[in-house]
Amino acid sequence: MATDISVMGLFPDEQKTVSTIEAMAGYPWTIDQVHSPFPSHRILDALKVKKSPLGWITLAGGILGFISGFSLAIYTGLEWKLIVWGKPVIAWFPFVIVGFEFTILFSVIANVLGLIVLSNLPDYKGLDKYDPRCSREHFGIVVSCEQEDQEKLVDFFKTQGGEARVFE
Amino acid sequence: MSDSSQLTYAEIDRTVLDTLRPPSGGYWLVIMVLILGVLVGASCWAYQIFVGIGAGGQNIPVAWGTYLINFVFWVGIAHSGTLISAILYLMRAGWRNPIARAAETMTVFAVSIAGLFPFIHLGRVWLVYYMLPYPNQRLLWPNFQSPLVFDVVAISTYLTVSSLFWYTGLLPDLAAVRDRATGLRQKIFTILSLGWTGKHEQWRHYTRGYLFFAALATPLVVSVHSVVSWDFALSTVPGWHSTIFAPYFVAGAIHSGLAMVLTLMIPMRKILRFEKIVTMKILEAVAKTIIFTGLIVGYAYGIEYFLAWYSNNIVEQEAFRWRAVGDYSLEFWIMVVCNSIVPLLFFFKRIRTSIGWLFTISILVNIGMWYERFVIIIGSVAHDFIPHAWGLYWPSGIEWGIMLGSFSLFFLLFLLFAKHLPSISMTEMKETLDHGGGHGD
Repeated sequence: MATDISVMGLFPDEQKTVSTIEAMAGYPWTIDQVHSPFPSHRILDALKVKKSPLGWITLAGGILGFISGFSLAIYTGLEWKLIVWGKPVIAWFPFVIVGFEFTILFSVIANVLGLIVLSNLPDYKGLDKYDPRCSREHFGIVVSCEQEDQEKLVDFFKTQGGEARVFE
Repeated sequence: MSDSSQLTYAEIDRTVLDTLRPPSGGYWLVIMVLILGVLVGASCWAYQIFVGIGAGGQNIPVAWGTYLINFVFWVGIAHSGTLISAILYLMRAGWRNPIARAAETMTVFAVSIAGLFPFIHLGRVWLVYYMLPYPNQRLLWPNFQSPLVFDVVAISTYLTVSSLFWYTGLLPDLAAVRDRATGLRQKIFTILSLGWTGKHEQWRHYTRGYLFFAALATPLVVSVHSVVSWDFALSTVPGWHSTIFAPYFVAGAIHSGLAMVLTLMIPMRKILRFEKIVTMKILEAVAKTIIFTGLIVGYAYGIEYFLAWYSNNIVEQEAFRWRAVGDYSLEFWIMVVCNSIVPLLFFFKRIRTSIGWLFTISILVNIGMWYERFVIIIGSVAHDFIPHAWGLYWPSGIEWGIMLGSFSLFFLLFLLFAKHLPSISMTEMKETLDHGGGHGD
């Protein structure tokens, strides 16, 4: 299908946005994006999106951090041996602290990098099909359609209680 | 008393974004005074670098003076930012939302300032890289069994995590500012907001990411001040060598941080006209939490005396007797009264709902918590095992100058933030409104 036009339906509240998403199930159009001024679980549920895989990326970062912290402490301990009294060169208890801090650090860095990659940020091109009211009090449903369907789609959004904006 | 649930989306935007309008002459005057304070601190530090660390009042036996007191103080202040933004987020405590952004910002600035003090105390600051683990021709590595190296790892992690947490939380609000700005300001906020458009794919990952941030920051905040306490507790000095130090320090840190939240939020609420968002109920909730942390801190003060008595160790007993009646007894009693007795006034509703009382008590707790670090850090080494090694310490003018600089820098950064970035999270405020009923323009 040649999708050469995008229409945004702008709605003044979350409820109308959710009901419009649900009503679209009977039409051949596909929703590209839904913009909202805050995270809405009702919208995400209506779109039937899967849970973000970000947790796995964060977990991978944490495991890498744990191994890195411990390895660094053990390696440096072996390279520069501080033999004092009968104290062990590889001291597990103090190294837990280093391992723990590295676990948190690497988890958070992985979390941020994952968020950036999965959300496709920075995304300055996304501003081309965006209405600034969506960061204020409006919700925007962006739908791609063929040129001849534009009128129908605009009418559909108006029937649902919203207004329509066409992006060429 | 207004309730934040009566707000509309438009009202939240208007209230928060109005604060970003060009500031008045009075604002710039305060900024200039604070810059002067920062310059005093910077000049004192420069003088110390030039003449040597002896410019401070540190001596033998008191080798750690105000530099370490301020280090612990600022790390402590940082803690309640994470408590409010992360721990209360996980507990779904709605009253955190209006103050979370300011508290997170406080965390970032306080940790940055805390991180300066080990540099200042180092004297030869250009050798700070010795603390970093990197391959070098001397085959020398930092000792990862040392609590001071734990500190380097913990504080660096805390600064990185709190800064990333803060910036991630700001992203949707930066986009909101961008959408109302024009010209150069719009370009700057477009870059800063990374092209955020609030599309569902972004929120899908963002909400998970924010949850993980909170879940990771919570154990981190407990670990960081525990690590700071081990700088002391892992030594054998009487007054320091105690197993209660980690929870005692964590509770104290949250106590001081909550007090600083009140100190910052009360004038900010008045000046930036946030009364409808930062309601009295929220300030009251902070005051109630201060009662709780004050009771923990008071219990810790008492249990230290019990342990000294019960240990039957004459050195411990003498150290604690001297704390209460010795050369630093005034500092000790300021600590006890300000931290564990004054906060009990919050049990009275009339006091915890009075702006004047809230502000006064928050200042007193801040003073008390600074003196707590004075009593622990100075008092313990000044009067340890051997009577002929006992000695006294008082900060030099250079140290007071550097301390003035640190406080000026903190308030300067906070004031710059309050007028240039959204100081209340519009996104989180909108999320707390009754969905579908919060609109209007």
